[in-house]
Amino acid sequence: MDAADVEVRNTTYRLFVESGNAPSANDVASAASLSVGDVHAIWQRLHNAHAIVLQKGTLELRMANPFSAIPTPYRVHAAGRSWYANCAWDAFGICAALHTDGHIETSCPECGEAIECEVHDQKPSDPRLLFHCLVPAREWWDDIVFT
Amino acid sequence: MNLFRSEEHVSRWLDGRQPGSTLSVGKLSELAHAWWGNRLAADWRPRSRAENETILVNLGLVDDFWTLP
Repeated sequence: MDAADVEVRNTTYRLFVESGNAPSANDVASAASLSVGDVHAIWQRLHNAHAIVLQKGTLELRMANPFSAIPTPYRVHAAGRSWYANCAWDAFGICAALHTDGHIETSCPECGEAIECEVHDQKPSDPRLLFHCLVPAREWWDDIVFT
Repeated sequence: MNLFRSEEHVSRWLDGRQPGSTLSVGKLSELAHAWWGNRLAADWRPRSRAENETILVNLGLVDDFWTLP
C-alpha cells in the first residue's frame, strides 16, 4: 500500500464520515482528482490489504470498517450524524473513530427486543449487555461479511 | 459479532452451535476504542499483526479464540 493508496483510503473515509453514506467511486475520484478507473484499482488494492471491503464480485464499497455501506441492525448516532456499523464491535468503533460520545440502536438477535446503548466517555450506559463473537480471530477474514 | 441482553439469550441464539467468545459490553467498548481509535487519523497506516496482537493482549484476550492468523 503506497502513499497514493493511503490518500484515496483517507479520502474515502472522510467522505463517508462527512455524508453519513458510503461514497461512490465517482465521489472519491472527484474529491481526489483521479479517474474512476484509478479509484477502482486503488480500492481493489485496499480491499486485498483488508483496509476496506468491496461488495463481493463488484467494485462497490461494502465496508470501510467500522462504517457499513449498507443498512445493518447497528445504527449509530454521534456528533449530529448517523451511520450504520458492520457489527456490535464496529458500533462502538464508530464512537471510537470519531472520538465522541454516541447512541447505538440495535436489537437482540435472539428475541428481537430493541437495545439502546449510550456511549459516554467510552463507557456503555447498560453494563448488563453482552457481546458474543462467534468466529475465532484466525478465521475473521475468511468471510469478513459473515464475521 | 452481536449484542445480547444476557447469557441466556446468547445460549438460545447459539441453538447448539459451538460458542465463540462472550465479553461484557464494557470490555467490548475498551476493545473498540483501542482497535478503531486511530481509524480517522491523518497519519493512519496499516497496523502490523504484532500491533493488533498487542491490543488484544493488553485487554487480556489471550486465549486460542483471540489468536490472530
